This record gives sequence, structure tokens and C-alpha cells, in this order.
Amino acid sequence: MPVELNKRTIIGTVGYQLLRNHSVGPILLPQIRELKFQNTVVVEEMNWGPIAIVQYFQTLEIPFERVVFLVAIERKYRNIGDISIFKWEGGLPSETQIQACIGDAATGVISVENLLVIGEFFKIWPKELYLIDVEPGSEVAGEHLSEEVQRKTPEILEIVHRIASQGITPNDRAGALKGDKLFEEMSHEN
Amino acid sequence: MCFKNLPIAFDEQGNAYLKEGIDDPYEHKVVDLGVEQDKLKSLMEKNGFIRSVDYDPVTRVAGALAFHSVVDLEKKKVLSTNSMATLFRGYEVILKGRDPRDAAYISSRACGVCGGVHATCSALAIEMALGIKPPPLGVVMRNILLAIEYLYDHPLHLFLLAGPDYSEELVKETNPELIEKAANTKAKNKDVHGYDTVLDIMKDLNPLKGKLYLEALSMTRVAREAYVLIGGKYPHPQSVVPGGLSVTVTISTLNEVYSRLVKFFDYGQKTTGIWDDVFDFFLESNPEYAKCGVRPATMMDTGVWDRPEAYDATYKNCDTWGEARWSTPGVLVDGEVVTTKLTQLNAGIEEFVEHSYYEKWDGHKYKEDPLGTPLSPNHPWNKETIPKPGKQSWRERYSWDTSPTWDRMPMEAGAYSRMYITAKAKVAPKSKFLENTGHSMKIHVPKHQLPGKTLEWHIPEHWNAFERNRARAYCIPYSAMVAMDNWLLAMDLLKQGKNEISTKFEIPKTGTHIGFGAWGAGRGFLTHHLVVDKGVIQNYQIITPSTLNAAPRTPWGTPGPYEEAVLNTPVLEKFDKPEDYKGIDILRAIRSFDPCMPCTTHIMAKDSDHMVTREVTTCACGIE
Repeated sequence: MPVELNKRTIIGTVGYQLLRNHSVGPILLPQIRELKFQNTVVVEEMNWGPIAIVQYFQTLEIPFERVVFLVAIERKYRNIGDISIFKWEGGLPSETQIQACIGDAATGVISVENLLVIGEFFKIWPKELYLIDVEPGSEVAGEHLSEEVQRKTPEILEIVHRIASQGITPNDRAGALKGDKLFEEMSHEN
Repeated sequence: MCFKNLPIAFDEQGNAYLKEGIDDPYEHKVVDLGVEQDKLKSLMEKNGFIRSVDYDPVTRVAGALAFHSVVDLEKKKVLSTNSMATLFRGYEVILKGRDPRDAAYISSRACGVCGGVHATCSALAIEMALGIKPPPLGVVMRNILLAIEYLYDHPLHLFLLAGPDYSEELVKETNPELIEKAANTKAKNKDVHGYDTVLDIMKDLNPLKGKLYLEALSMTRVAREAYVLIGGKYPHPQSVVPGGLSVTVTISTLNEVYSRLVKFFDYGQKTTGIWDDVFDFFLESNPEYAKCGVRPATMMDTGVWDRPEAYDATYKNCDTWGEARWSTPGVLVDGEVVTTKLTQLNAGIEEFVEHSYYEKWDGHKYKEDPLGTPLSPNHPWNKETIPKPGKQSWRERYSWDTSPTWDRMPMEAGAYSRMYITAKAKVAPKSKFLENTGHSMKIHVPKHQLPGKTLEWHIPEHWNAFERNRARAYCIPYSAMVAMDNWLLAMDLLKQGKNEISTKFEIPKTGTHIGFGAWGAGRGFLTHHLVVDKGVIQNYQIITPSTLNAAPRTPWGTPGPYEEAVLNTPVLEKFDKPEDYKGIDILRAIRSFDPCMPCTTHIMAKDSDHMVTREVTTCACGIE
């Protein structure tokens, strides 16, 4: 697969603050900002609400061609600190589920699933949308990452940098994430 | 005499005193809720309908409220209700021991929608405690900021959260008999909204694709844009500080705000027209709808939007500056105003924890307020938050919410209470755009693209789900006109060169200082009670609108507002089999309060194994 450079890209971190590994995005955001990117790459904290994000994307004169989210979603089959890469392949859940996502989103709930579904519903996502998903383990309050995730931090940053700059390669063995199955899968996993 | 139940009386000069000769003036009865549960159980046994139900919340992301009802589907009646807050938020605990200046930023996080009102309430509490009077521009800009926050909140509630309950898609499923009728009912307000029939409106209320739903989304953006011009960011503003705002306001800022604000002139006309048409249709089609979510108009509000010439932040003068607000603080009991004085509002508040997961605290440190009005040991200044997680039991404790009362009565809160009390009390100073008649509020909306119009919200005969939402719609032009009034004041101040926007202050390192912030949220009543001791927060107590509305039973067994409203709600939904029952009437009742959290309702159908589970998601603001 040819590497595509210079794509207008946004790296977004999504997740509540102060939840240790669950806050991997917000915690690593300053370090991501320190990485050297082409000037076509933008780094943003993206907890300001899926509706506002939709409206932001809708106003862009030059749309993003690649979106990379750094998140931490608990998946029982992984060990803490495991890093998975997913490619968003579109699709939508039921309208009831979408309305539930919008209800949550409009009222301040921070959730990457909501963001993905609402973005898809309003057709804001480019062809390339990737999730770099770090296994956080159970939800615990705290300011710092666990040792397992701290050890993986260089790798996480490397992956964020590489995917934001070049997209994925077959070696990334990216999983497929589909909107119509998203909530089903999440409930099975958890 | 505003108190009927608390042992507080007033002398001829109007000074409050504690009635004499009562051994334990604040004693209260604690009833055994088990009696009610036993009756219910016995009734269900007779009918062979006993079943164990899991009442835990099932919201996918952030369920913080669960609502349990037992419904008799044959008699179309609700038999029992319990409102449960399922999360402990603990801001009171987090804030203890911190510098008071942290409070605005931390307490703002209590809500994902209305952070600005928490920040403001916090600033007001500190201003009162430490004697900080903001300059006029600080007061006026704060008014505009918070009016704009409401302009974000009201469309969100009306069209994104509550609106789908009245949409064509939903009504077709739950009351199909209304669809043809709606198709044949001409909309009365076509001149402002353009819809020919009520069905046309209902189609555009459909979630996700209806034009009204999508328009509301875009209007929330307009409000947010105006908000960040003053607040810096949304939903947690960075510029709200004790003593005013930490932002530079220029004529350009005001012009930018104005260009957004005027859009709500037309939108206010349109929205009130839409909801008048829809609710009149429902109530005329079936007068039984008037019972949906009905309860007495017993509610309270803090009032909001200070007059810059009146507000001095002192407790001593809070009755005066409170009554000078654009919206009047006060208490309504069964539709009658019993007080508009902030001191009496404050003195009548108690919080009970007998049916909540908290330990009762000891002590009665503040027996009186700074003016000598008696305070209960259950008053927020005396309260301590001591979490005590435990097993959920309908007989004993079942909620993380407390049971707040005023004069020992559960009180409802809402943006509509703000309008109801202001319209009824007629004490708010004269305003260019608003007129309070005692039975209505007239809102003079200037022209934008639509011609100017005087809208009139009437105090309704029955206080039900439909009227809560109708009043909420009128809160859009109401808030917009208050913002406009303040915008004109801000322009005048800038023209006079009075551009000072905040007052410097120091945190005293000695002594004890108390204050309370009273500033309603988008969905009504909000107070922050604060005690600063030796420079740090010694006690902080927040009462949100949902603390009031979602309250469990009082110690003496009176249901909280959600519980009471749902108990009074008839089942008007049409269904053939119990498993088809969706519980729309109950959902409309709960949603009309705009429950301030992602709320899950569980409705247990008495004559089946069917459990209806619906999310009632609204603002993610917490109750304790």
C-alpha cells in the first residue's frame, strides 16, 4: 500500500480526565503536541462534544482527510496497556441508538462511540478514520497512568505519529470498526 | 407569615424568631416506607403478579438516575414510583479544604451543560461570604452570559430531548388515533412557523431528521458562539470569577454577541408558536392529557439576572437585590406566592437524608442566619455530606439524592418556575421588553426577520407535563429579552467609559465567612452554600434543580416531585398486549422536568413480566 503523506489530518484525544488509564488521551495530549508533524497535522483535545465537533467539521473550508483518535476502551480480551488499531468502516446503529447517542452528547457525556456514530450520521468523517485504542483495565480514579501503560507510552506516541503521518499499513493489523455493530460488540466485550 | 410548618414566626417589624415553648422545634416524623411496600406487595400477590425486578440503571454510558414504577395496565394507573439517583458525585467532599477561588472551576464540572450557572453560583457565594461587589459591567455581562446559556439549554430540551415524545414517529406508535386528527388540525400559528397542520409540525419533530430537530441543533451552536465570546469556552467558562468576569468586553464583543442574539428573536416566536400548537392539540384531543405529570404548582426559584444598581452581594440586602432581579426569587405553594425574599427562601430550606445513602450529621452550628432568622439543623449551612453506601431498599434508603424541602414541603424546580413566580409576584422592576401581569408574562419581541410581536405566557390552570414544556418554550424569548435589556445596559456603560468588569479581592486568612449563591440553572433552582474558615472552604453544599425534582420521599413519606407527578399520570397510551406498552405518558411526565442527568426509567407492568426500559437522557448534571 503506497504511503500517503501530507494529508490534512487531525489527531484527537477523547476521554474523561482523572480516570488513570481511561484518560490516556488527555494525559498524553501534551506529549503528542510535542511530536514533530508536517504542518498539515492538527492536534486537538476533542472532548468538547460530538455536536460541536460535527459543526466544526461542517465549517471547515478544507476538510480533514484523515482522523486519528487516541482512546482507551475497556475490552476484556486484552491486557492492560495492549494497543489495538481500528479502522472506522462506517455504518450506523438503529435510529433509537443514534438518538440515545445524541441525547448523551448534547448533555455533556464524553464517549468516543457517540462521537463516531454522530459523526457518521452527519457524514463528517473522511475515508480514513483510525482509532488507536489502549487497554485501560477497570475504571479507577487518578491522575496518572498505570505502570503498564506508562511503559507503552513511547510505543503509543510512535503509533500516533506514524498513523497520523502515513496512515495504516498491513503490519498494523487494524481491526474493522462498524457503526451498525459498535454497541453490540461493546456489550459483548464487556 | 410564610412558614406554616417550620417553627419560625415574625414580629411586627418583620423580624423572624423561633417560636417558643417547643421542646424540639425541628423534630420531624420518620415514617416506615415498608407499610406502603407491604400494601403494594399484598396487592400484587392477590393478583399473582409478584416478580423480582432489577432496578439498577442500564444506561449505556452514564446512567445517574433510575426511575421505577409499578403500573396497573388494566386500570391504566400508576401504583407506585421511586426516583433513584444512582451515582454519588461528591462535589461537596471534593471542595472541602480548598481555596475558595477553586470553587467556580471545580463546581462548574457538576454539569456538562450548565457549567456557567454553577460557576456563577459559586462566585456569588464567595462574593457574599467575602463582601465583594462586582462593578456594573461585570453584573450586566454575567447576566448576558447566563441568559445565553439558557438559550443553549432550552432548545436542547424542547427539540432534542423532550420533543421526540410528541413527534409523528412516536405518536404513531403510541397513540395512532391522534395522527389523522393531527393531519386535519390546522396550526394556529402558521404565520410564525409556516406549518399548515399539527401533523406537519409533528413530522418535523421526528428525531434525527425532522427539520425542527436539526434546526435546534444549529441554534445551540448560535448560542454557544455567543457564549464563548464572554465565557471563553463552553460548557465550563473560564472567565467567571468572584467579583465579576475576567474578560475584556468591547463594543466589538457586544456587536458579535448581538448578531447571535437577534436570531433568538424570531426563533422565540417560532418555538412558542410550535409548542402552543402541539400542546393545545393534545389537550384538546383528550382532556385527560392534562393529568399527565400533574402536581400542584408548588415550586421555588432563586431568581436570576441582577440589576447592577441593586446588587451589592451582601446578605443584609439580599431581599432587596433579589427582588430587583429580572426574574423574581420566591416560593409558590399550590400556585400562590408565599415569599419573594431570598432570606426567607434560604431559611426555609432543609435537606433530609433518611431515605438516601448518607449518614445524618450531628450538630447545629448555625442556629441563625446573619440577620437572626432561625435556621434548621438540616439547613445547608449546617449540613455535612457523609456518604454511606448501602443496599437499595424501597423501605429505607434508595437514592444518592437527598430530600430537600422548603417549609417541610418538597419543591419543584424548573426554568418555568422562574417565569411563573416572576409573572405571578409582579415585584420585578419595570423592563423594556417584559411585563408581569399577575396571571401572565408579556414578552415584547422586537422585529428581526419576522415582524415584532408581543407573546404572552399565561399561568395555566393545571400544572402538568405539557404546561412545563410550554412554559419552557416561552423561556426562550424571555431569556433573549433579558439578554437584550442587559445588552443595551452594557452598551451604555461602555459608552460612558465604565468598562471595569471585575473587583479585586483577597481571601482572608482568618475568621469564618458564610455566603450562599442563588442563581438558577437552565432547568431551575440552584444554590451553593459556602462556609470559608481560615481561608479555605470548610463546608460547601450544592442543591441543583434535580436534587429537588428527583428527591426520594421525605422522612415523613411525601413523594418527591418526579414521584408525585408520575403517580398522578394516567396511562393514555394505546396498546393491545402488555409487551407493546412503551410507557410514553410516564416518560413525558418525567421528561417535562428536564431531569438533570442521564435518567433511565424502568416501568414494571403489573400484569405481565414486561419491563419497559427507556433512557430519559438530559443534561448530565449531578445530584450530589
